[in-house]
Amino acid sequence: MAVTPAVSAWPFVRLKLRLTANGLRGRPARIVLFLTGVLFAGFLAVAGYATFAVPGVLGNERAAGMLLPLGGAAIVLGWLFLPLLFFGVDESLDPARFALLPLRRRTIVAGLFAASLAGLPALSTLAATAGMVDTTARLGGTGAALAELAGVVCGLPLCVAVSRSVTSAFATALRSRRSRDLAAILLALLAALLGPLQVVALAGAERADWNTVAAIADVVGWTPVGAPYSVGLDVAAGRAWAVPVKLVIVLAATGGLLTWWGTTLERAMLGAAGGTRPAGATAAADPVDRLLLPGLPRTRFGALVAREIRYWWRETRRRAALITFSVAGVFVPVSVAATGVSAGPMLLFVGALAALALANQFGYEGSAYAANVVTGVPGRAEIHSRATGHAVYVLPLLVVIAVVAGLVAGAPARIPGELGLLIAAYGAGLGLVLPLSVRTAYALPETTSPFAVPTGGGAAKGLLIFALMLGTVLVTVPLQLVAYFLGPVWLWIGLPAGIGYAAAAYLIGSGVAVDLLDRRMPELLAAVAPHR
Amino acid sequence: MTVPAQRTGDQPAAMSLRGLVKHFDTKLAVCGVSLEVPAGSFYGLLGPNGAGKTTTLSMAVGLLRPDAGQAIVLGRDVWADPAAAKARLGVLPDGVRLFDRLTGPELLAYQGLLRGMDAATVDQRARELLEVLELGAGNRTLVVDYSAGMKKKIGLACALLHGPRLLVLDEPFEAVDPVSAALIREILQRYVTGGGTVIFSSHVMEVVERLCSHVAIMSDGVLRMHGSLDKVRGDRSLEEVFVQVVGGRIATGSELAWL
Repeated sequence: MAVTPAVSAWPFVRLKLRLTANGLRGRPARIVLFLTGVLFAGFLAVAGYATFAVPGVLGNERAAGMLLPLGGAAIVLGWLFLPLLFFGVDESLDPARFALLPLRRRTIVAGLFAASLAGLPALSTLAATAGMVDTTARLGGTGAALAELAGVVCGLPLCVAVSRSVTSAFATALRSRRSRDLAAILLALLAALLGPLQVVALAGAERADWNTVAAIADVVGWTPVGAPYSVGLDVAAGRAWAVPVKLVIVLAATGGLLTWWGTTLERAMLGAAGGTRPAGATAAADPVDRLLLPGLPRTRFGALVAREIRYWWRETRRRAALITFSVAGVFVPVSVAATGVSAGPMLLFVGALAALALANQFGYEGSAYAANVVTGVPGRAEIHSRATGHAVYVLPLLVVIAVVAGLVAGAPARIPGELGLLIAAYGAGLGLVLPLSVRTAYALPETTSPFAVPTGGGAAKGLLIFALMLGTVLVTVPLQLVAYFLGPVWLWIGLPAGIGYAAAAYLIGSGVAVDLLDRRMPELLAAVAPHR
Repeated sequence: MTVPAQRTGDQPAAMSLRGLVKHFDTKLAVCGVSLEVPAGSFYGLLGPNGAGKTTTLSMAVGLLRPDAGQAIVLGRDVWADPAAAKARLGVLPDGVRLFDRLTGPELLAYQGLLRGMDAATVDQRARELLEVLELGAGNRTLVVDYSAGMKKKIGLACALLHGPRLLVLDEPFEAVDPVSAALIREILQRYVTGGGTVIFSSHVMEVVERLCSHVAIMSDGVLRMHGSLDKVRGDRSLEEVFVQVVGGRIATGSELAWL
């Protein structure tokens, strides 16, 4: 049996569809989630198509010349950032499961890649970008439409390849101690890339400096992210020679990304790296002292908080969430502040984003949560200790964010007021997230990738995030109004008012969560334990 | 077929299960299990894979809410008064679910403080347990990197730390090497001699036959037989009784000819 027959990518696609279908069987809640995901994807597809078709309907070539490359680039970058920051990756086909099969790396990469193409996000993207074909058909006739179609079809694999290769690389890097810091820096650089995009958007929106935008759009049209979406315009403008060149750029980029994915995939298939921690005995401190961090009480609450603090750093998924939040949390407001605009709304976003890490906090532990159920930890201790453990990391970060954003914007006087807003948003976010974390907990797949979510979970996670963001904004509306009307006075009372607001929101939300948890401990355990 | 449950004198049962039922979706996992575990007994719960042993024990210790029935531990109803019942129990859950990103000593300190013990007692007992179980009080390896046998041992240490009067162990000997298994056996025997009660699940006949004073046999979610070892076994070997009760089949030799 030494000969391995050639395996096509088709069985992988069928396996994924089968797994998706089986995951839905007999689970009404999952079916509802899935249908919501379908609706959401359908909405995005229609909205995207409509947006991209507008320049064609208006017959505006100049608008098309800006919208298509820049909009396309935004979609590709969306595929890059959204899985890292929010949605996670649908790893219904966990690469590690294929480790024992006699398959070559090429086959596995091709198969997993094809399986990723067969999903709602890919379909939705394809339908949305089809609006570009519509536009080029109206502007440049059949030839242009055909070229754009080719571009759109090549663009989709690029999107998927970007998303899979980057998440896989980060998953590999975040697993090992040595490359972890490097990965954090890389992630920071990636987030920094968002800055220029915002400058472009703001330049367009505020100064109506369309010439700059058009020039940037031309340049982006020659990069892999914009090239697939601008080929139709080239035909319409009589530059047909550009089409093959741009398609080669796209295909080469996709090929390069897939090769890179293949190398990191191989490491992922070998499973998590073994403990590099020295196993040797050292001068032994007392067990309790080793568990507790300085300053924590030698009680149940202290033990719970100490465990949470250690887990945020030692558990890969939590660490990934923490690192991506720190990076996004610092860079997004700073790049907004750099353009001179008030970072206010962004601060609310960042504060809510921080609380979001706790949305599935019980899912991180999975069945290990049984240890707390067996000991009968009361809901009050459980919820408050978890919030404390998270706040230990997040509150200093929020201070850093407020200070850096204030300094970059050149308005240090605004720092306390903005910190107040940040803390208020974090507190309001916690108030909303904590009850949800008890009620809507779900089991995470036991894979090596910290970005993996259960099948169909991406849509659920996305919706949850959307709802929470909206909720946080609504909850903090009174505070924003006060801040707006008080003007300069807010600079002084902003910080105490924000802290007070956060405390009130937290107390209400955590109270609900405590009651829920006291009634539902075994149900929560059943929801987060991966089997059954 | 059923041997009536043993009542040992006037001592109350350490654990008594009354008509426990559990459905998963449409499948009936446990179907009306009633069992008395006398105080001071070493009780073995036998059954093939999927018989409902883990489900039963999970309901008995408060990890899984039963659809019907009662579980009473040392006189306290697990589902009506969970805090009091759980304080008297030591549990080694299925597959050793532990907070495995802690080191062994950290995990024991965590468990001890969670149980409301004072820090000095936790330190002293944790050190002793780590030494006796050969896990090393200075070991800085995370539990996730432990071998299967070490994980069972640290799980057992967590269950013993607060000195419970009843131990509920799910598959304590599964995937454990013979040396560790002997150590665990010895500790459990000493615990029972000292007046504690142990109930554990297993599908290894030799271990059960060697250790237990009482056995119960489960299959398909139903308790088929229970009582003292001698009554259940009669004059046959436990394995014979088990295979007959569970109704297993034996390969005839005509299948798998290609092997």
